Amino acid sequence: MTTMNRRDALRLLGLSTFGVAALAACAPDATGGAATGDAAAKTFGFTSWSLNEAAQKAAVQAIVDAYAATNKVKIATASFPYNEYLNQVVLKLRGNQLTGAVQVDVAWLGALAAMGKLRDLGAQASAGGYTDVALSSGKFDGRQLGLPWTTGSIGLIANTELLTKAGVDGMPTTIDEFEAALGKVAKLGGGVVPYAAATKAAQLKDIFPWMQTFGSPLLSGDQVTIGDEPSVAAVEWYKKLYDAKLIAPDVDRFDARALFSQGKAAFYDDAIIARGVVASQSPDKALVQKMAPLSRPVLKAGDTPQALLWGHVIAVVEGEGADAAAEFARFATSDTATVADFFQKVQLPPTTTAGLADPKVAGDSFTTEWTEKITKTATANPFWRYAADAQIESAVAEQVQAVLVGNSSAKDALAKAAEAVEGLQK
Amino acid sequence: MRAGRLTNGQFAWLLMLPALALFLAIIAYPLISSVVTGFFEQSLVRPGRAFTGLANFADVLGGDFWPVLRNTLVFTAGATIVPFLIGYALALALNAGIRGSGLMRGLFLFPWVIPGVVVSFLWLWIFNANYGVLNGILLRLGILDAPVSWLGEPATAMIAVIVTKSWASFPWIMVMLLAGLQTMPKELHEAASVDGAGAIRRFISVTLPHMKGIASIVVLLEFIWNFQHFDTIYVLTGGGPAGATETFAVAVYDTAFKGFDLGHATALGGLWMLLLLVLVAFYLRHETKERS
Repeated sequence: MTTMNRRDALRLLGLSTFGVAALAACAPDATGGAATGDAAAKTFGFTSWSLNEAAQKAAVQAIVDAYAATNKVKIATASFPYNEYLNQVVLKLRGNQLTGAVQVDVAWLGALAAMGKLRDLGAQASAGGYTDVALSSGKFDGRQLGLPWTTGSIGLIANTELLTKAGVDGMPTTIDEFEAALGKVAKLGGGVVPYAAATKAAQLKDIFPWMQTFGSPLLSGDQVTIGDEPSVAAVEWYKKLYDAKLIAPDVDRFDARALFSQGKAAFYDDAIIARGVVASQSPDKALVQKMAPLSRPVLKAGDTPQALLWGHVIAVVEGEGADAAAEFARFATSDTATVADFFQKVQLPPTTTAGLADPKVAGDSFTTEWTEKITKTATANPFWRYAADAQIESAVAEQVQAVLVGNSSAKDALAKAAEAVEGLQK
Repeated sequence: MRAGRLTNGQFAWLLMLPALALFLAIIAYPLISSVVTGFFEQSLVRPGRAFTGLANFADVLGGDFWPVLRNTLVFTAGATIVPFLIGYALALALNAGIRGSGLMRGLFLFPWVIPGVVVSFLWLWIFNANYGVLNGILLRLGILDAPVSWLGEPATAMIAVIVTKSWASFPWIMVMLLAGLQTMPKELHEAASVDGAGAIRRFISVTLPHMKGIASIVVLLEFIWNFQHFDTIYVLTGGGPAGATETFAVAVYDTAFKGFDLGHATALGGLWMLLLLVLVAFYLRHETKERS
């Protein structure tokens, strides 16, 4: 029989225990190293979805590199794709794996605020020279949880060349005119999608401005109005476009951008960043000149065009490197030369009075037109104030998708959506 | 045995201690913790939790559990049977010793060595409704008049997901079955031939009985893996359209990490695990039977 003496065994056991202990020591710190007093910290993190997107990556990295070089600090960057970003950030925050500065879509601030780990950046906000509207996008429950990086809107963009080819004279201003224009574009053939509207669940929250266009407030006080007559009419109209192939199946924001960049879509929804994205993706270098923002068509003349207010902020996680990260966030969002240069590279409008007045920004006709036609009447999504906003948007999107693929009527689907949303209003 | 010396059994336990410690830390504890969470209302983004007894389980069973179970079974059956048949046919062909079988064996393994997520993105592009390769070819050949939304229609989305998973997993099945075929004594086939059996008769009477053991193991393992499969479905359809491809793996992920609802996610996960245990019990029983 193979045997070993007790001393050898104990030695082996000791080594094993040491191995497990070493593994445990290498494991993430459960407290996340929640150090304080880090004004002199020379290292902090910066998490951003823009670092994952080809059109913005270089511009964001340039800001990071410039700040790191000037201030002699090391910034550890991390990024996730936009559609996976929120859940990755939530998981990392929950596991105390995320510190430093974090780019946050204004729609997600409620969810992240509920975790109680974001720093109040009131001091940086008051020193940044931000506009009031921009500052409000980073506020939650009266606390300044994010410094606004860009504030704009999501609206409709048209390819004027395709519209001219299709014989569409002037931009449509009502739903009827819009439908007629789509019909004319459809006749072009050649795989052109008249309106590359979102039809994948991941982006079907784009239906909200259409519901508002048809007259649904979505939320009245705390009362969910999804499922009311106007919202049902909006979804039935969307389904009509889907069945008539005026909008295409299987489209999210990235597909829509690809189609538009290839000259295969006459209209699509995007933020003002669209111009930078199309410029970087399109084989037609002149396409940018053919892009035109337009006010969302209204149900009847005289109605207010609907658009979704949109923007992103930089938040800072309490703990290691927070002071240094807060300074970086202030620099990235308010240093006039930096934000003007960033605007020139990616066309995201700045959020400070000085940044907006910079000739590079103020002299840009596309931005002026966008502000006039879309941002001017844009409103925030009323569900953003709930921590479960992302879940609310998914619940509605899934039901709208069920209508599009013929699994449900608009009325039944939106009744189900409303019930789901009511359960998520916490 | 002298005092102070360990027996083989004691030594074996000692060797297992580090592994046991790791098992307890990274498998047993999270498992027990997640089972317990199923009895609480707990959010991923809010601190604290409240005991709700069986309420989460009742909600899950009264909600999407049955459609999700149906989708999971359809996907599991499809993604097991289709690659099994393809793998079996290829294994038989390669075992027949046709020219170039060595090269083909290597080529057929190619899909298996590509990471699952990469395979899924590849097929995502193939199936895309608006600029996908499949529609492009079928339209050019005149087989289609208009593009089909393979991933956007409930009727085709599940088929597309099964095709993708089958493409990724048939090589493993082929290799396993080919190994089984190569252990079959040639004399059996020769004797059957002498008795006048044709190719089909020999396949039914000689090959199939010989391969029964390994084939059933392969099918059972594939079934268990597909029952838990996540990446192909998540990348291709995310469980859509309108829940048409939502399996347990996707539903639990979405509930926990997109809906931030840990209570319901772990309740659903608990029920999923129970079903999985039944499959594992079948596998263990089969293993025991084979050994005896």
